[in-house]
Amino acid sequence: MMATSNPLKKRKPIDGHAVLVYSLLFLGAFLLLIPFYWMLTNSLKTEAEAMANPPTLLPMASYVELEGESLEVSLGEKDDTNQTIRVTIKVGADHPRNGEEHVVAQADIHRNLTPRWENYPRALERMDFMGALANTTVITVLCVIGQILSSSLVGFGFARFRFRGRNFLFMLMLSTMMLPPQVSMIPLFILFRNLGMIDTIWPLVIPMWLGSPFYVFMFRQFFTQVPEELVEAARIDGAGNTMIYWRLMLPLSGPVIAIVAIYTFMFVWNDFLGPLIYLNSPENRTLTLALNAFNGNYGVSDVQLLMAASFVTMLPCILLFFAAQRYFVQSTAASGLKG
Amino acid sequence: MTLARVARWLLALAAALVVLWSFFDVGLRAYQRWDSARKDTRTELTILHWGDNDEIRIVEELVAAFEAEHPDIRINRLHASDYDTKLNTMFAAGDPPDLFYLRYEDVPKLAGMGLLEPIDTPVARDVKATGEDWIGEFYPVLLDAFKYDGQKLGAGPLYGIPKDFTPMLMYANLQLFQRAGVDVPYDGWTWAQFDDAMAKISALEDPNGEVYGSVIASWPAVLRNMVWSYGGDYFNGTDFTDVTLDEPEAIAALEHVRRMRFDDKTAYNATGGDAQGLGEQEFYTGRIGVVGPIGRWRTPRFRSIDTFDWDVVPFPHLEGKDPASVVAVVAWGMSSTTKHPEESFKLMKFLCGTQGQKLTARSGLAVPCTKPVAESDDFLQPGQKPANAKLFIDLIDTARIGQMPPEPEFARIFEEEVAQTIQYGKQSAEVTGKNTEARWLAELGSPLRNRSFPRMAWGVIVGSSGVLLVLVVGGLFLWLRREKLGAIDRAQERAGWVFISPWIVGFLVLTFGPMGLSLLLAMSRWTSMQPLGEAEFVGLGNFGHMVSYDASFMKSVWVTTYYALLAVPFGQVLALLVAVLMNQKVKGIAIYRTVFFVPSVVSGVALATLWVMMFDNKRGIINRVLGWGYQLLAPAIDRVNELLIALGSDHVLLNRPPDWFGVDAELFAIPAYVVMALWGVGAGMVIYLAGLKGISESLYEAAKIDGAGRMRAFFSVTLPQLSPLIFFNLVMGIIGSFQVFTQVYVMTNGGPGNATLVYVLKLYREAFEYHKMGYASAMAWVLFIVLLILTGIVVKSSKSWVHYEGLK
Repeated sequence: MMATSNPLKKRKPIDGHAVLVYSLLFLGAFLLLIPFYWMLTNSLKTEAEAMANPPTLLPMASYVELEGESLEVSLGEKDDTNQTIRVTIKVGADHPRNGEEHVVAQADIHRNLTPRWENYPRALERMDFMGALANTTVITVLCVIGQILSSSLVGFGFARFRFRGRNFLFMLMLSTMMLPPQVSMIPLFILFRNLGMIDTIWPLVIPMWLGSPFYVFMFRQFFTQVPEELVEAARIDGAGNTMIYWRLMLPLSGPVIAIVAIYTFMFVWNDFLGPLIYLNSPENRTLTLALNAFNGNYGVSDVQLLMAASFVTMLPCILLFFAAQRYFVQSTAASGLKG
Repeated sequence: MTLARVARWLLALAAALVVLWSFFDVGLRAYQRWDSARKDTRTELTILHWGDNDEIRIVEELVAAFEAEHPDIRINRLHASDYDTKLNTMFAAGDPPDLFYLRYEDVPKLAGMGLLEPIDTPVARDVKATGEDWIGEFYPVLLDAFKYDGQKLGAGPLYGIPKDFTPMLMYANLQLFQRAGVDVPYDGWTWAQFDDAMAKISALEDPNGEVYGSVIASWPAVLRNMVWSYGGDYFNGTDFTDVTLDEPEAIAALEHVRRMRFDDKTAYNATGGDAQGLGEQEFYTGRIGVVGPIGRWRTPRFRSIDTFDWDVVPFPHLEGKDPASVVAVVAWGMSSTTKHPEESFKLMKFLCGTQGQKLTARSGLAVPCTKPVAESDDFLQPGQKPANAKLFIDLIDTARIGQMPPEPEFARIFEEEVAQTIQYGKQSAEVTGKNTEARWLAELGSPLRNRSFPRMAWGVIVGSSGVLLVLVVGGLFLWLRREKLGAIDRAQERAGWVFISPWIVGFLVLTFGPMGLSLLLAMSRWTSMQPLGEAEFVGLGNFGHMVSYDASFMKSVWVTTYYALLAVPFGQVLALLVAVLMNQKVKGIAIYRTVFFVPSVVSGVALATLWVMMFDNKRGIINRVLGWGYQLLAPAIDRVNELLIALGSDHVLLNRPPDWFGVDAELFAIPAYVVMALWGVGAGMVIYLAGLKGISESLYEAAKIDGAGRMRAFFSVTLPQLSPLIFFNLVMGIIGSFQVFTQVYVMTNGGPGNATLVYVLKLYREAFEYHKMGYASAMAWVLFIVLLILTGIVVKSSKSWVHYEGLK
């Protein structure tokens, strides 16, 4: 952005390394974006086109020139010799010529790019997007805050204090990561039902306020690397444990917080089984439950709407990552400590 | 710079506004609900149903009408897209809905456990009181489907009132019939006539792709129609021990499907996650002659076809055998624990009454169950397709109830075995029949089924574990007090415990309790739909069952190992390499980082649908691209294959792109999931990137001064510095890949056959489909122990390659 050309500067020779990096970046990005391209292009098609075989690369529609007006048509039966085709005009219900049928020569039909933007409002309306968004946001925000606070507290405890049983408890905590969550599903459901919390957000939020082994481990690894001298210095200045945690450790752990926030956000935002089991009422449902409603009992119907809805649903995750990624890049505090 | 800052501020502001609004919105709604519930003194009934938006609207409308008629009743309408999980969890927690959708296939299972309320008495009372024989308006065969005498359907108490049904038939593309010069078989056809017609239709040419005679739907419930049409069945008698799939009629029927798909190639062999669904969608292309046996549910969607005319025709039958139709019927059933049986019955009668049947009829999704509505224009809908709508009602005459054992395992065993014949074409129908019977009898012969065991002594267990807990905690406390600590150490200890206390609480309540319970359950036989008190102690019986009586257990172990062996190394190496790439200081790297990360945020149904579309053999983009490559390579591959055959090898290389979830699924379905997992490489990349950013620049400078090149610096600085993270990611990767579940559950659900039956999916089925909580817990503990061992090995080896610095 600040690149101003300096005539005095010698022209650099072509950097082989940079060429390699850029070509790998391009290639990787290209491959990774294909599925997204597929999602986007299908979200802008009609249902018939989304299911077409062979598939179209872009949302297209057929048009016929009638009395100087180019009108969109749907194709019908062909004649036996493949010369002419029956078409039905499709230009919206309020147009006077809508629904007219004509037989035209195959050659008169031309295909134009026709993205169906209306799929987006339709998809959002169908899944009651606003309500689901509010529910998901509340749950996610509470979970992210809880996860960061609780996991960093516990990680701090494991990292900076000597107490008997510490190593045993730490190994115990790590081993609980290996338990398939399906095992505890029913006992937990019974527990939360007895607490009267079914159809509320609490069964989804409370576990996140009690630390997760995965994130505790990450915080603990990070906190163990903070030099003891720094903590001693703080102690000499009269800081207690809470102060050291709040004013020294947390601000230092920006990169870990960013990772925990992103991971928790993604997990909660996309969680399906939890909301499915604990939330009952339609007005409490989250985005994933609303998305799954496109998957009827007879397979997915309206694939194009599902794709549109999925795209909108994952936008917040993309934006969040884009905004938060500079925290792992600018972890100056962490690297500065080491030098 | 300023522009980027403005954008960031705007983004942050927007996010803050969304969060504020969300809390306000949710809070307000919560208050309103609490407020109205406080003022509401009406009786509350809970009902649970499934369905898409049309169906939701129907139930909503009925509920509103009922509430208007009965001001003293309030209805709490629940809807679930993953219906079975929802219903099972509610039953398991002892809090089932008062009324719920009930498929007749589930009646033996639920009634057998005493979870359904028989409704003969209220029906008789109501008919007497109102003087209207409304129950007589229902087609008798549909009512029979919900009668169960403990052994077979069709006799005994009535457990539900049918709300809608559909017989299985075929949808025909009239244009293709006309072009092929075949008469549309409105009055039925024999298999010989069918084959003849299919040959003629398949021979037609179409510029856009191959024309197929048929798509044969083949999940167990509808495949039965095929077997019936040959005069065979799944079982002889209703004690369900004599499987007749190995008798000539059934063998001929299954062989016929295999022949149409693999020898004659007149039937389209659908691929993809939901093979049946995609096969039916192929009908839209206009290159499929007939699709079936399927039901009325496709009608509303097929009405959007305007490139050809279509109609419904009966399913064929063997010459000399009577035509028979499978019917799918759904009723409203009542849970036996309902607190308001009278109100529930009133509601049930209303939901299945004339108004409900009419709404169903008009939606076009199903056939109404009462004669007057079914034969009215509400259902026949003159002027709308299909013109031959009356066929749906006429098929009632040939409708039969498919008797199924109460154990849901049979359908799964059959599904797994039959795929070998009709999906892969590599096992004869006779072997399929024999294997199905053998596996089914092994399942029935397990001591877990037919031995009786003593009840779990919960009182003793709870009491003794309570005493033990007190002793352990007390002992620990005393032991901690005995050792005299200095003031500083005591302060350290106290602070440490305070800081880790959130996890301690979470561990005890959310992990230790459930874990202890599951350990006890692993040694028990317990159906999760019944009270815990009825659990029986079987010792190590569950583990014996795994090894000796359950063939798909070992299969699931193999499938999971296959996945882990591919996913862990590829995933870790790729994540590390991508992170190194993302750590380069080049322009626009922020954009690239986002691009590489974004795939890992797609999940659930969207992810599944997207990849099923991408991996589709015919219209998926992956095989289209691979196809071009294979065209170039085909001569070389053929040469190699000639050589292989000459050398006496049974296996040859594929000379076409693999049909990932179709005929090549046995080998390629798992790699397809690995490719999907690799797409989400961003999640692992993030951790490595954070680690790379933490490596001090001075180390690289030192390496440079020592004369190390880029590669050398990578191996001597980067890898050792990252080794704690590599270790961490490796452990998490192993755990994650052994627990892979969600994608498989949503996409292929273990199929085709059992090619993708991963361990946790098998466990999930045992727990929530078969309700064998004890067995599922035992499986969970096996997984737990295997993971412990694997992690132990990694930890042991890590001492030699993981480099730690700083405090420990």
